[in-house]
Amino acid sequence: MKGTVSLHDLYAQYHERVEFLVIYIREAHPVDGWWLGGGIPGLLLKLSGSKAATNVYDPKTMEERRAVAGRCEAALQYGIRTYVDEMDDRVNRAYAAAPTRLYLVGLDGRVVYAGGLGPFGFKPAELGAAIAKYLAQAATPR
Amino acid sequence: MPNAIQIRRKARAWQKEFDTLAPKVGDMAPDFELRDVDGENPIRLSGFQGRKPVTLIFGSYT
Repeated sequence: MKGTVSLHDLYAQYHERVEFLVIYIREAHPVDGWWLGGGIPGLLLKLSGSKAATNVYDPKTMEERRAVAGRCEAALQYGIRTYVDEMDDRVNRAYAAAPTRLYLVGLDGRVVYAGGLGPFGFKPAELGAAIAKYLAQAATPR
Repeated sequence: MPNAIQIRRKARAWQKEFDTLAPKVGDMAPDFELRDVDGENPIRLSGFQGRKPVTLIFGSYT
């Protein structure tokens, strides 16, 4: 879609100046949970061209979670290494990240941008604007 | 096994509970250490302080 900004675009543009970390968290819509693979939601998902899987069960062990995260990493092809949250969901809880969420953390370790809850608050364009603004400010002598 | 409505309610309650605790702009980002999909190459968020800003992209496969 014209005018949209993808995470691929942001990574291509900024990866030399900004570290990108993909963090795999608990499955949002597994077969044995809030499944969206059937009926009208499933059809809409297919028509949207989404790379989201519809045949994944909620991993029950860390090994299963790492395996699904690896499949996800390969399918999404961000080119960014994926890190996997622990089974106690400690990082997911600390950032209220489920189902999807974006943050930008500055050089001082403080949050510069906190995106809204996905899917509706998942806005790569907003993140891109925040990155551009932050880098411009960081480059300006004080 | 819980039905779809119960599952949605539970997920939304989770979001509501933890969203209020999530870091806001200006807050220190909670530190963490995680490993990659092979269980290797540990990284710590605080390890990037003073070196590079960090974008965190949270999500799953579904």
